[in-house]
Amino acid sequence: MIVDFNTAAITAIAFWATGSLLGLFARRTPVLKLPALILSFAGSLVMVCFIGLYWSLLDRPPLRTLGETRLWYAALIPLVGFLVEYRWKITWLKYYCMGLAVFFLVINMNHPEVFDKTLMPALQSPWFIPHVVVYLIGYVMLAASSVTALHNVFLQLRSKENVAGESVSHYLALLGFVLLSFGLIFGALWAKEAWGHYWTWDPKETWAFLSWLAYLGYLHAYRYKIDQGKLQWYLALSFLVLLVCWFGVNYLPSAQNSVHTYTNG
Amino acid sequence: MVVVRRRWFQVPWEFRESSIFTALSVLVGFIVQYATSGQGIPMFRLPVNAVVLAVFAALILGTGLGFRENEMVKWFGGIPLGLCLIVAISVLSLIGGVVPQGGLMAGSLFALLGVNQIFSSWPFALTVVLFLANLGLSLSWRLVPFNMKNLQFILFHAGFWIALSCGVFGAPDLQRLVVKVDEGESSNLAWSMENDTEQRLPFSVVLHDFSLEEYPPQLFLYDPHKEQPLQERTKRTTLVHKGAKASWKGVDVEVVDFLPSALPGKNGDPEPAESKAGVPFAKLRIASADAAPIDAWISTGSPMMKPYAAQFRELYFVMMPGAPKAFRSDVTVHGESGQQTSATLEVNHPINVMGWKLYQMGYDNEVGRWSKYSLIEVIRDPWLPAVYLGFFMIMAGNLMFFWNGIKQKGGVS
Ligand code: HEM
Repeated sequence: MIVDFNTAAITAIAFWATGSLLGLFARRTPVLKLPALILSFAGSLVMVCFIGLYWSLLDRPPLRTLGETRLWYAALIPLVGFLVEYRWKITWLKYYCMGLAVFFLVINMNHPEVFDKTLMPALQSPWFIPHVVVYLIGYVMLAASSVTALHNVFLQLRSKENVAGESVSHYLALLGFVLLSFGLIFGALWAKEAWGHYWTWDPKETWAFLSWLAYLGYLHAYRYKIDQGKLQWYLALSFLVLLVCWFGVNYLPSAQNSVHTYTNG
Repeated sequence: MVVVRRRWFQVPWEFRESSIFTALSVLVGFIVQYATSGQGIPMFRLPVNAVVLAVFAALILGTGLGFRENEMVKWFGGIPLGLCLIVAISVLSLIGGVVPQGGLMAGSLFALLGVNQIFSSWPFALTVVLFLANLGLSLSWRLVPFNMKNLQFILFHAGFWIALSCGVFGAPDLQRLVVKVDEGESSNLAWSMENDTEQRLPFSVVLHDFSLEEYPPQLFLYDPHKEQPLQERTKRTTLVHKGAKASWKGVDVEVVDFLPSALPGKNGDPEPAESKAGVPFAKLRIASADAAPIDAWISTGSPMMKPYAAQFRELYFVMMPGAPKAFRSDVTVHGESGQQTSATLEVNHPINVMGWKLYQMGYDNEVGRWSKYSLIEVIRDPWLPAVYLGFFMIMAGNLMFFWNGIKQKGGVS
């Protein structure tokens, strides 16, 4: 491979690590703020460039295997952290986000076999990119929402007032829900073209539906003015359902006759 | 502040009453399922299901608008019951998402309770109907009197109501059949996989040509003592192309020549051939530190031709055909009244003919690109436009939701 994945990943990790370190020092020495931000940003930029090069090398979007979606996740999650800092002045989220990104890259470094070139016919569709991109961004938002909610739960346990944090987790969940809905419907429209029916209760579909229901429940509970503090627990835990849908389905007993488990690795 | 605890079943009803009601409904569903075991839910086809659905919708709308102030009706269309029903649907779907679905365990308790076909079981159907009633009531109050401010709510909820109800009530009208056609032949016989019956279609399909394109072949190392390809160990597939390199335990291999389509010539060396008949050939240079490099041709072979392998000590290098990249059928469809359509069917490129949708489905897997027949799936779903209308309404509501959510950001509403 012309663009070596390990080199790109290690470069990105190094940028994030030095950026975070400088960021911590910047609390005392504010001049370091800008270099810290630039370095952290550069980490994501490296991953974005890698994805671009890899895409042109493969002649297809690198969105097929779980390993490939982890690449996107690694590039995008830190960006959500930076965005939240910019918009809501919440600084800690980006550290979690970069940590999560490093975690995904390390998984891929340990599993080189996830980079396989072929794309089966059912996946060759104009729906492929919108469907997966919408889901990826949705998952990124919901991951950030859960991390924020978890942080809020800790603050609650130490009885700290934290209205801003609760509204961040809420809006991230709301945006994530919108994207999940689009992803689900795009998936259904695509399934009709590729497999003949828009909904077959395939395990992957069932779990996608379950994660959508989890956030549908959240939004209605929120509307019904259920205590926001309690709902932080709910948001923090909802991500578990997403994780099963995303990683776990392949390991469930029901997956033995799934048409969507081509993404091993 | 004095906290006044509500007594059980004191109006207005809330979560406690809603959860009991929901749990009881699911229980009743399982009991009915057990009692009627094996018979399933009666399925009505057009036009009966359309009439039933219309009556159901009218009933809900009438109840919602006629008894708007009734506490019971208010509860039935409220968020607490809605949330409980969402939980019930989630739990049932969770069962369907974990327990393998299919008729495997006939006769067991699981099968009697419908756990192995949860999505067509009584408890699921009952919950969906209650869900539709709940959603429909809440919708009726926002529809009348109409107010633009409620548009977003209406798009979401009405869209979902339409998609879900038409998907569920219309399911019996869905026909999915498979036609097997041999190259150069015609067929109007279709097979239903659900009930294992054959039926005659109102049109016939002629298959002119079936063709399959493959990805580049893959290189494998095969150890005859182990009876398995060694590729597993490096966990990396090597796609064959000129210049491709691979190595296994001190043995280096390079592809020095690659002919995507060739046939053996007079002296045994391959010569390029037209793509319909030829098979891929690759010339390998195999070397190790303690032996002079050797060159050898390998090929994937075909049903008519034995594959070539290269031997190096006790190891064999073999080439496996690549994964299918695309497969298509050139067909002409002849209707009963003389109309005809010609098209190329391909995965992800179905065609619409006479109210049916035709899909490229499969072929003879044993021989891959040499398949002499094509499997074509033919599907009819008269309810599809209604379901899609629902989908598009939800997406429109989604766009509004996205926009408004962004606009109000910062404040807790
Ligand atoms: C169980 C049946 C349901 C009931 C009883 C119900 C009821 C409600 C109610 C009363 C609201 C509050 C609206 C407001 O305060 O303005 C609401 C909001 C909302 N519902 Fe539902 N809903 C149900 C199912 C659904 C479904 C299936 C969807 C998704 C397709 C959905 C999506 C939404 C959204 C996105 C909102 C917030 C947007 C808004 O406020 O307009 N609901 N729902």
